[in-house]
Amino acid sequence: MRFDTVIIGGGLAGLVSGISLQQAGQQTAIISTGQNALHFFSGSFESMQEVPKRTLDLFAGAGIRVHYSPGVRLTPLGTFREAALSLEDTSLFPTPRFADKILIVSFAGYLDFFTSFLAEGLEKQGMSCRICVLNLPELEKLEQGPSEVRSVQIARTMDRIWEKVVQEIRALLRDEDTVILPQVFGLQDISVPGRIRQGVPARVVFAGTMPPSVPGIRTQMLLKQRLRVLGGTYLMGDEATRANIVDGKVHSIVTRNLGSHCLEADNFILATGSYFSKGLKTNPFSIFEPVFGLDVEYDEDRNRWYDPAFANDQPYMNYGVRTDAALHGLHKGKPIGNLFVAGSILGNTRPDLGSGAGLAIRSAQVAVDQILSL
Amino acid sequence: MTTKDFDVIILGGGITGAGTQRDCAMRGLRTLLIERSDIATGATGRNHGLLHSGARYAVNDAESAEECIRENMILRKIASHCIDETDGLFITLPEDDLAYQQTFVEACRKAGINAEIIDPKLAVRLDPAVNPALTGAVRVPDGSVDPFRLCAANMLDAKLHDGQVRLHTEVTGFIREGDTILGVRTRNLQTGETEEFRAPVTVNACGIWGHHIASLAGVNIGMYPAKGALLVFSHRVNQMVINRCRKPSNADILVPGDTVCIIGTTSTHIPFEECDNVAVTPDEVNLLITEGSKLAPSLSSTRILRAYAGVRPLVSADDDPTGRNISRGIVCLDHEKRDGLKGFITITGGKLMTYRLMAEMATDVVCRKLNVNKTCETAHTPLPGSEERSYEQVARRIWEKPSMAQKAAASRMGTSVSRIGKLDRYDNALVCECEEVSVGEVNDAIERMEVSSLTDLRRRTRIGMGTCQGEFCACRAAGLLAKARNCVEKERSDLADFLQERWKGNFPIGWGDTLREAEYTQWIYKHVLGL
Repeated sequence: MRFDTVIIGGGLAGLVSGISLQQAGQQTAIISTGQNALHFFSGSFESMQEVPKRTLDLFAGAGIRVHYSPGVRLTPLGTFREAALSLEDTSLFPTPRFADKILIVSFAGYLDFFTSFLAEGLEKQGMSCRICVLNLPELEKLEQGPSEVRSVQIARTMDRIWEKVVQEIRALLRDEDTVILPQVFGLQDISVPGRIRQGVPARVVFAGTMPPSVPGIRTQMLLKQRLRVLGGTYLMGDEATRANIVDGKVHSIVTRNLGSHCLEADNFILATGSYFSKGLKTNPFSIFEPVFGLDVEYDEDRNRWYDPAFANDQPYMNYGVRTDAALHGLHKGKPIGNLFVAGSILGNTRPDLGSGAGLAIRSAQVAVDQILSL
Repeated sequence: MTTKDFDVIILGGGITGAGTQRDCAMRGLRTLLIERSDIATGATGRNHGLLHSGARYAVNDAESAEECIRENMILRKIASHCIDETDGLFITLPEDDLAYQQTFVEACRKAGINAEIIDPKLAVRLDPAVNPALTGAVRVPDGSVDPFRLCAANMLDAKLHDGQVRLHTEVTGFIREGDTILGVRTRNLQTGETEEFRAPVTVNACGIWGHHIASLAGVNIGMYPAKGALLVFSHRVNQMVINRCRKPSNADILVPGDTVCIIGTTSTHIPFEECDNVAVTPDEVNLLITEGSKLAPSLSSTRILRAYAGVRPLVSADDDPTGRNISRGIVCLDHEKRDGLKGFITITGGKLMTYRLMAEMATDVVCRKLNVNKTCETAHTPLPGSEERSYEQVARRIWEKPSMAQKAAASRMGTSVSRIGKLDRYDNALVCECEEVSVGEVNDAIERMEVSSLTDLRRRTRIGMGTCQGEFCACRAAGLLAKARNCVEKERSDLADFLQERWKGNFPIGWGDTLREAEYTQWIYKHVLGL
C-alpha cells in the first residue's frame, strides 16, 4: 500500500497533520493504537497563547467549536489554570471570581465529579455555592450494568435525556446566577451543550470530570470524521512495529495487523506520543524510540530521571526524540530526510513549540509545511 | 468523654501493640493504645506478608521455627480472613548444594513442620511459575497473610472490648515518680493537643522505635536496626510461596498475596536516624530482580508496582554486621527486674508470625503485675471477620448472586462484610477498580476504623495498592473522605500527600509500565485536575 504521507499516531498531532495534508491534496494514512492524550483532554488547549488562523479554520472545518478568550479555566478540583483557546463548552473567565451565586449539579451514584472540591475552591474566591444531586432513574439502569458509572457511560445516557436534566435544573434554581454541570454532555450530539445553555435561565459552566474526557473523545471523533470525509485513511487498532530504511530514508513501515503488507510513502510523520502512548519506551537502563530507533535526549543515570517530590517538574517528562530545526528525526546524529517528528514525543526538546496541545498543533504544522514545500 | 485512667497503656500500633491490646482487653483490662502514626506503618506493614511455616529458621534457629509452626496453625484458625493457605516450596537450584535438602527436612521435622520432599517435576506442575531448572523441591505449610488486615482486626476487637485507641499521637515523655512509671505525656500530631494518660503498667511495643521510647523512660535496650528492601509485582505470578533451599540469604522468598506478589528481602544495618525514612537504593532493586528471577524466571519481565523497605526490630546479641545471625526470637523485658524501673515492660524482637505469642507473653507480665488472674484466650478466639472460614459462603448468604467485587469484599472483610451488605444501591459502586473496593467498604472503614487520611484508608481497604497505584481511586476516595469529615481543605493536601507517598515507592523502579502510569498520573493531577 502506498500513500503520499504515512502518519504514525492518531492523537491530536497525527490528526492535525493528516487533515492538513489531505486538504492540500495528499493521500495520507494514520496508524492509531486507539489510545491517546485526547482521552484525558481538559477542554483547553495548553500553550496556545496565540492561535494561527489555519488552526481555527481546521477546527471549524471539522465542526469543532472553539473560542479564544485568554483567562482562566476552572479545574475539576476547584482550582484555576491559565488558558486561552478552549472548546466552546469549556468556559474561560477573565478572573477566577466569575459569579456570585452558584448551583453545582451532579448525579447520584456518580463518583467522578468532585462537587465538594469545586464548592470549596469557588467559595475561597468569594462565590457562594449550593450542591444539588439529581436522582435519575435512567442512571439507575447503568448501575445495574456490568461496568461502573463513569463519565462516558453517563454521557451516552445524557445525549438522550438532557432535556429532562434542563427541566430539573429549572426547578432547582433559586437565585443562583450560574449553574455548574459535569462535562458529560454532547458526546455524540455536539449541539447539546449549547442547547442546555439556552434552556437554563442562568449561565451554565461545564466543569471537567475524572478521565475519560467526554469533550476529548468528542474532539477526536470529529477530527477522525473530518479526515475520512477528506478521503484520508485511519487504521484503527494497529501499531507500527518497525521501519525499512534505505539510503538514509524511510522506505516503508511494518505494522502489527498488516503483516507482510508494508506501508510505503514519500514522507512519514512520527507522532506516537510520549511514555503513556508508548512513543517512548523505557527499561532500567535506557529510554528509546521503538519504531525507528531515533536518538533520544535523556540522562544516562537513571537516578536523575526523577524528582523525589511528586509535585515538582520531572526530568523524564522533558526527554524526547532528537530532531533538527526542520523536525527531521535524528538517527545516530544524522537526520532521516523524509521522517518528521511531531507532538509530545518531542518532550521538551523544542520549548519554542510549546507543550501539550500547543506542541502537538505547532509541530504538526511545521512537519506539514516541510512536506508540502518539498 | 474518655477517661484518662487505664489499667494498661500500650505504645505502638503495629501488630505487636494491637495484639497486646486485644489480649489485655479480652482479659478485662481497661486499655489504651497510643500510636505516633497510623496502624501497621512500621515493620508490620513493610515485610513479605509471609505466613511462615518456620521452615526458613529450622536449621539455624530451632526455637523460632517451633514458635512459627505453632502460631501458623493458630492463625489459620483465628485469622482466616487475613490468610491465604497457599503452601510453600523450598527449591534447590543447580548452583545450590542438594545435600542441604536433607539437613533442612530433618530440621523441619524436628521442629514439627510437615516438610515433604517432592519430585521437582511435580513442583513445576503445582506452581508453573517456579524455575524449571530446579533440582530439588520440598513442600511446606507456608502461606500468606495480609498484615494490614490482621492489625486492623486486632485493633477492632480491642475496641469491641472497650479498648481505646489514639492514633497520630506521639509520646513526649513519661510520668514518673521515683522508680515507677505512672503514665505518659502525649501530643496529638494532627491537632497539637497535649494530654496525660495514667496506668500502673505501660507496654513498649514500638518495634525499632522502642529503642527511643525506652530511652525516654531512662532504660537502654540494645537494638539493632536492620533494613530489608522488597519489591511488589503487579500480578500474582506464583500461586505458592517460593523459597530457596539454602542458608537464608538475600531475596530468596517470593510470596503471593492478594492480587500481587512480593520478593524480598535484603538485610542492611542502618543508623537509628534513618528508621523514619528508609529508601530503597538502585543496587537493592537490581539485586532483588536478579535473585528473584532465579526463583520465578517470569519476574524479570513482570511489571514492578512498588519498592519499599522496613526495619526489623532486632535485639543485638553480637556484632554481626548483617543482622542475619541474630535470633529472630521474642524478647520480653520486665524493666522492674532488669533495670529496677517499675510499671514498664518492653516486648520486641520476634516477627509478624509470632505477634500473638508475643502479645500473650506481654499480657501475662501485665496481669501478673496487676494481680489479675485470667488466662489467655487469643489462641482460640477468632478475630472479627474470621468467625467463618469460607468467605464465598459468607458472600452468598448476604448477596444471592455475589458479584466479583462483592466476593472480593468478603475475602477482605470476612464475616464483617455483613456490615456493608445491605446498604443502598450506591454503596456497591467501585471506588478502586484495580482492587475492587466499593463505596460501602470505604465508608465502613471511615466510620469504624479510625481513618484520618487516604494513606490510612489504603492500609485498611487496599485502595491505591493495585496496578494504577491510586491514579483514579485516590480522587474518588478523597471525595468520600471530604464528605464524611466535611473538610475539603484538609482533603486537598491529603490527596497531595497520598500521591507523594505512592510516588516514593514508584520512582526507584520507574521504567516500563510503571513510568507510563506515573506520567499519566502526574499529567492528570497537574494539568487536568489542577491539584
